[in-house]
Amino acid sequence: MPDTLLFILVVVPFIAALGLYALRIESLRMVLVLATAVLLTGSSLALFSHETVAFSTTLLGVNPQPLIVLLDFVVLFIILAVGLSAKHRLIIYLAGAQIVLLAIFKLVSPAEATGQAMFLVDPLAKLMVFVVSVVGSVIILHALPYMKNHEEHLHLTTSRQPQFFAVMVLFLGAMNGLVLTNDLGNFYFFFEVTTLCSFLLIRHDLTDEAKANSLRALWINSLGGLALLIGLLWISLDLGTVNIQQILAQTPEAAFLLLPIGLLCFAGLTKAAQLPFQSWLLGAMVAPTPTSALLHSATMVKAGVYLFLRFSPAYSGTFFSTTVAFVGGFTFLAAAALAISQSNGKKILAYSTVSNLGLIIACAGIGTPAAIAAGMFLIMFHAVSKALIFLCVGTIEQRIASRDIEDMRGLYAIMPVTAIITVLGALTMILPPFGMLLGKWMAIEASAHNILLVIILALGSAITVLYWARWAGLFMSYPFKGRIYPESQPALTRLPLLGLIGGALLLSFYAPAIYNSLIYPAISVLPLALVDAVPATSWGILVLDRGSFPVIPLFLVAALGLFAAIYFYKLAGKVKPTGPYLSGAQTPDDPSAYAGPMRQSIVPSSSNYYLEKIFGEATINRWVNTAAIVLILLMLGGGL
Amino acid sequence: MTSVQVFLALIAALFLAPMAVGVLTGVDRRITARLQSRLGPPILQPFYDIGKLLGKEPMLANHWLAFCSFLYLAGAVTSVVLFFLQADLLLIFFVQAVGSVFLVIGALTVPSPYSQIGAHRELLQIIAYEPLLILVIVGIFLATGSFKIEAVYAMEQPLLFKLPLLFLVLGIALTIKLRKSPFDISASHHAHQEIVRGVYTEYSGPYLAIVEIAHWFEIVLILCLLSLFWSTGVVGLVLLLGITYFVEILVDNTTSRMTWRWMLGTAWITGITFSLINLLWLYYG
Repeated sequence: MPDTLLFILVVVPFIAALGLYALRIESLRMVLVLATAVLLTGSSLALFSHETVAFSTTLLGVNPQPLIVLLDFVVLFIILAVGLSAKHRLIIYLAGAQIVLLAIFKLVSPAEATGQAMFLVDPLAKLMVFVVSVVGSVIILHALPYMKNHEEHLHLTTSRQPQFFAVMVLFLGAMNGLVLTNDLGNFYFFFEVTTLCSFLLIRHDLTDEAKANSLRALWINSLGGLALLIGLLWISLDLGTVNIQQILAQTPEAAFLLLPIGLLCFAGLTKAAQLPFQSWLLGAMVAPTPTSALLHSATMVKAGVYLFLRFSPAYSGTFFSTTVAFVGGFTFLAAAALAISQSNGKKILAYSTVSNLGLIIACAGIGTPAAIAAGMFLIMFHAVSKALIFLCVGTIEQRIASRDIEDMRGLYAIMPVTAIITVLGALTMILPPFGMLLGKWMAIEASAHNILLVIILALGSAITVLYWARWAGLFMSYPFKGRIYPESQPALTRLPLLGLIGGALLLSFYAPAIYNSLIYPAISVLPLALVDAVPATSWGILVLDRGSFPVIPLFLVAALGLFAAIYFYKLAGKVKPTGPYLSGAQTPDDPSAYAGPMRQSIVPSSSNYYLEKIFGEATINRWVNTAAIVLILLMLGGGL
Repeated sequence: MTSVQVFLALIAALFLAPMAVGVLTGVDRRITARLQSRLGPPILQPFYDIGKLLGKEPMLANHWLAFCSFLYLAGAVTSVVLFFLQADLLLIFFVQAVGSVFLVIGALTVPSPYSQIGAHRELLQIIAYEPLLILVIVGIFLATGSFKIEAVYAMEQPLLFKLPLLFLVLGIALTIKLRKSPFDISASHHAHQEIVRGVYTEYSGPYLAIVEIAHWFEIVLILCLLSLFWSTGVVGLVLLLGITYFVEILVDNTTSRMTWRWMLGTAWITGITFSLINLLWLYYG
């Protein structure tokens, strides 16, 4: 049975992708996408009922290894071809180098070493499969009406939706493969497939900007791919195995292996768009919004942080580990600061993603059980909340034709339901009792011994609150005018939004249960060098040896406060409306305007503080990128 | 804690502490008046003010103001209750942030320049003091080995001897939270003409009363944090709080309001340097 589940999770999306590409009929596409979404969601949930097992080399009785080798070269040659046709030297060199190295790897690596235990289902993999399959499916469903609108708006003669949905579905299969595989060689294959998928999705609209940005994404991620391949080759030559579990079991003794592990981590940094590699993820914002949602929440960047968490036992307790914490922590702070200066909604989200992923990497670097638990919590909650907010911004953008947050002022008057969902989504990113904050709380408590790191996290945490609160308030800002009616939306637009916000709230509520059933089993078996007391839960209260977080009691209090606030909001509906305070110079007919010179009626306006001079990209980009490079060199040096 | 203790803690958190702060604000206004050669209002004036506000006809520029004022109160009350129940300090701090965030969101819901600018300045104040509060809490952790308040009460020596610099850092945060000069940037307790009352501008009547009460709870929380620095004896505790508050009043009356740039720079550079030094002592000392 688990064999079948693995087949559905990894191989079926590849088959569905072929179908979506070949069968260019809209109704069939709907059916195929729906069926894939249902299959993936169901299988990922079914996976939770299985114990931790290592699986054999076959998938439904067939050995897929030769096919994977073939496809691996196909992917690399496609990348090479892209580089050649775009005359992009860097991509040509990077792809060429990988082809040569991969050929060497296939020649020298012993055959039986690549064979054993191809897939491994453990709690970390289950969590990732859940994120990829469930959140990813919701995004693809939301994309159905979205892409239809998108193409109507562009007046295309031939639809490009077949390609789009094929790549989106393929992406999910590749991610599932990446998190389930126990073979570092196959890991590399799936890693490269995600690179190729992201390239295709970013250039989807075929504008000059999209093409340029997709090439940038391709070369940055190919750089990571090359690092990964070198690390892989090195490890297989030294240890004679590419079995990830065997590598993890050996590394604490084999300290010299930290450098190849460092190369793997370097690949993770490029994939997770950590400073100074953030530019590809920001460039990716030109793609249709479902792509951004997918890259930021369920796929791609999560592959980078997954790599850090997966290999955390390999570097736990070393100087390398400490530097990983600083690399992540620094990105957490710097990307949050960069987000302050942005008024483009999608760019704020992009910087926020980079920042939160930095925090997850910092957790992997701190490397105690509590910190790893925090990292796993953050992955899950970030995926759900970020997918939600991206889909909200996409929905809003199609309505108001802008992604500038200043244009979203007073959105509540136009799209009340979407506005409230977005605000709730923003609040789940920063406030208790929601999961993201729970993760942040665990991360700060786990890092409290590292004084410099904890200062960085404290600053980053405060800055994060600033840009989210500012955005949330802006949605609700509107002059008082009559009744507001809920907007109408297609079911496939509304339901994913409701599903995700419901999911964010429910998962936060069940955080203690998720901890007990999933995260504790994952961290309790990790061979970590640093051990703090593993957190426990009782009565919905998460207890560390250093502190405690009463999740469910706080939820009850929050619900009470919310009901009171809603009650008084309803009462306030009967209250006499007035205009804003305008120093007593209000005009009688329009309460939101004042009488200016010559009795002109003037409506005052104000905009957000963006603090460009302090936090603007032009001001700090050079500095933070330099600092990030220095830290990464320090990190790699720490592996020597 | 036994159930009787929990009950007593709830009474203290919900009623006694905010009442005491109400009186304290009255005393504050009296002393401030004397420093300015005025007579000043009666000590109980803050209570009369709240009563008057509650009796006013409710008028709103946006219904969400009502919603946000209640959540501000809910966040502030919950954090104080958690403190009296001796919960996790970092958690208390995060719950307190819920209130601050909703105060700002409420102010942002009205398109009035005063309240918009006030809200943004309030956000800047939040990013000025939040890291400092986290570092004070981390300092308490390094001194006691736990984030829980009960660990502080288990100490034999006052924390002040171990965390003198962090006490000063907490003082910076306290000045910002009390909306006192030189940090009264988003909403001075005197309505300066340039910002009117900033983040408070659009809260009026009963809703302003709620916001004021919530602010009392916030002051309770900061004073509670201060009290942790002398947890070993009541006399010392009262003296420490009294002197600190008096110094706050003096600072308020002898300094002028500065710009937010200055505030952010001062709070971060001074606060983080002091914290760093103190944390290093603790860690290596």
